[in-house]
Amino acid sequence: MNNSTKTFAGHGKRPSAPSVILENVSFSYPGEQIFRSLNFTVKSGQWTCLIGPSGCGKSTLLRLISGTLRENFSGKIHFSDGNSHTGRTAWMAQKDLLLPWLSVLDNVCLGSRLRGEMSDQKRRRAISLIEDAGLGEYSDSLPSELSGGMRQRVALLRTLMEERSVILMDEPFSALDALTRLKLQDLAARMVEGATVLMVTHDPLEALRLGHRIYVMTHRPAKLSEVLIPPGSPPRKPGDPAIISLQAKLLDRLVGGANT
Amino acid sequence: MRIVRLIFISVGLVLVWQTIVLLTHAPPYILPGPVNVAKAALTHAGPLFDHAMTTLFEIIAGLLLGTLLGAFSALSMIASFSLKRWLLPVLVISQAIPVFALAPLLVLWFGYGMSSKIAMAVLIIFFPVTAAFYDGLRSTEPEWLELAQVMNAKPLAVIRHIRIPSALPAFASGLRVATAVAPIGAVVGEWVGSSKGLGFYMLHANARMQIDVMFAALVVLGVLALAIYFSVDRAMIKIVYWQKEETE
Amino acid sequence: MKRMVLTLFFTIMALLGGVSTGIHASEKVTVVLDWFVNPDHAPLFVALEKGFFNERGLDVEFQVTSNPNDPPKLVSAKKADIAVSYQPQHYLHVDQGLPVVRIATLIATPLNTLVVLADSDIKSIADLKGKTVGYSIGGFETVILKAMLNTQGLSLDDIKLVNVNFSLSPSLFSGATDAVIGAYRNFELNQMDIEGRPGRAFFVEEHGIPPYDELILIAHHDNVKQPKLRKFIDAMEAGVRFLVNHPEESWKLFVRGRKDLDNKLNRLAWRDTLPCFALRPGALDRARYERFAKFLKTQGLIQRIPPLDSYAIELK
Repeated sequence: MNNSTKTFAGHGKRPSAPSVILENVSFSYPGEQIFRSLNFTVKSGQWTCLIGPSGCGKSTLLRLISGTLRENFSGKIHFSDGNSHTGRTAWMAQKDLLLPWLSVLDNVCLGSRLRGEMSDQKRRRAISLIEDAGLGEYSDSLPSELSGGMRQRVALLRTLMEERSVILMDEPFSALDALTRLKLQDLAARMVEGATVLMVTHDPLEALRLGHRIYVMTHRPAKLSEVLIPPGSPPRKPGDPAIISLQAKLLDRLVGGANT
Repeated sequence: MRIVRLIFISVGLVLVWQTIVLLTHAPPYILPGPVNVAKAALTHAGPLFDHAMTTLFEIIAGLLLGTLLGAFSALSMIASFSLKRWLLPVLVISQAIPVFALAPLLVLWFGYGMSSKIAMAVLIIFFPVTAAFYDGLRSTEPEWLELAQVMNAKPLAVIRHIRIPSALPAFASGLRVATAVAPIGAVVGEWVGSSKGLGFYMLHANARMQIDVMFAALVVLGVLALAIYFSVDRAMIKIVYWQKEETE
Repeated sequence: MKRMVLTLFFTIMALLGGVSTGIHASEKVTVVLDWFVNPDHAPLFVALEKGFFNERGLDVEFQVTSNPNDPPKLVSAKKADIAVSYQPQHYLHVDQGLPVVRIATLIATPLNTLVVLADSDIKSIADLKGKTVGYSIGGFETVILKAMLNTQGLSLDDIKLVNVNFSLSPSLFSGATDAVIGAYRNFELNQMDIEGRPGRAFFVEEHGIPPYDELILIAHHDNVKQPKLRKFIDAMEAGVRFLVNHPEESWKLFVRGRKDLDNKLNRLAWRDTLPCFALRPGALDRARYERFAKFLKTQGLIQRIPPLDSYAIELK
């Protein structure tokens, strides 16, 4: 693969995505040590999934990388292209976080609007993203007129509009029903191609469908397992026998980690 | 549909009123019946209209000024923590002091014209508007603010595009309360010193023991207050367009 | 021993019971004042403190109100026996159907005055042209002003009227008004003296208003035959007599138990009100009352003049 010019689902060129490097990172909440000297690299241009029991620190890790958590933390977090990590990621949460008073189009353009960078070009790009996702006739609708799945689709588009090469996702599809979840996973895999993605999920099947690399996070302070690299490229078919056997293995690691 | 319901309620109230007068044998100088009040209203329609216009102007001017002042104060308190510490006690005091006590002072400072009545109305609505708006601004969804932070949003853009719209529903409820109490400010101001307005006219009629005329002015004031409230309510529904009304 | 104590105990209780029934044998009279207690009410409180009511078997209770329009309504609703009212307003009340009758006079002259600052350039009523006149809403002030202005060929259009409610002298001091009407000569002028900004008075009865009683007592016309009312007036007359004969001692009685009334303004007002009290409270000058009724009708304040006996009487 040519690292310098990766196409971005046909919507423009993306500079090659860096990897995210955590060195000796320690973090605690008052009374709770979440990470102690954690070393972790999120590989460039790949989709990394982090799976683990609730409360072990997965979302905290995401927030350390996004820059929203800055206190009580020691160690180094940076991107492989040498620059700082703060303000250079895109964020997708479990809630769609759509502003109810803005139309779908305006919600997709939220980042530009908040940075004061709105332009016709940006608007055109947003419209083409919206159409590509199959929501073309809803671009002027308010979020209240859309279903949960459609809203999360819009959230995905908003994340992609940011054109950040590092995308952080915190269980983005867990609130959706099974069918919508599958559809959105396919859409995300297609549209995000080339970015460095770190996704937190509690669903092993989702990790196996979407991830190039899968880690299990367990214990307190949190520890990461060996990486699991499933065969084939995402999005993988749910019925794939290799996936199913790996699912059992993942679950084992999860349960094992929870019991120790 | 709404108009029909309004008519039914009005007719019902009038019937209740007449019943009370009949049952209690209330003399006309204590509680006049609806027929007497209607007659008085017709006889004095001219002055009633003129005075009503004066009071209406005072209420609306008071609402506009008070809302602007309140919105500005709430935004200042969000913007600056030290400002909040100074403004918050002032806010609470403005609510705690009975306006009746402050009215003569305001008349002394602003004179006997409309400005003292407008000042009274502003004083009475300052707390509801500011407190509601400030509360709304303070309780912006934290995850939105987090998203904005990750997006490198400019601070003013966050206030303008996220905090303020998200606080509008709270602001609207504060404004609805303000609309209901603003007439009180205007009328109390008129009682303390004025030559025009429904409050003045009520005092005047009362002094001449023309209780039916006084009640007529009272009814007109009530209708005025209702009209203003419904207008503001409709306007708020348009402004907070994304909130669904409860289906009946 | 125990038996003796018990017998003594019951005897005492019986005696006390007898004494209290003795007190209950007196008649209750509720009187609603027009305003807070002030020197205008002197004869009533002198009578109270000297026991003139008790002597006649009356147990009098005074109520105060801050709304001068309430007392006639209370009497009309039979919630009080007697109210303090004003002769001019009395005609309006009767015209509106209140079942009240004047039974006595408390203050037999007008107290209402047009007041200007002593250093003002208003030296006569004619100088009011183009000026601002402040008033308290009593229902009657525009009539007074109109009659006063008419004596100089002016009309209400020649002045600017501003309702200042009860802030009469403050509005003069602040310059918001050039003159005020509705000030009581025994109070406002003294108040202004105390503030160091004396005023000058135009007495309304000297400028076109027929003389009237500023304060009267009224009762419900169903009750005028009650003997307790006549007894009340007799006691009140005894109060006036004592007041006139012993003004200093009367002042001490007035402020006894009402220490908050003992201030400079009240003392000055006391001195100025003394000549105004009706020496014969129960007496009625029929021609005077009828003359005033005609005046009000001419001014358009009342529609018809009812027979005098229906609204003002001497009690037998």
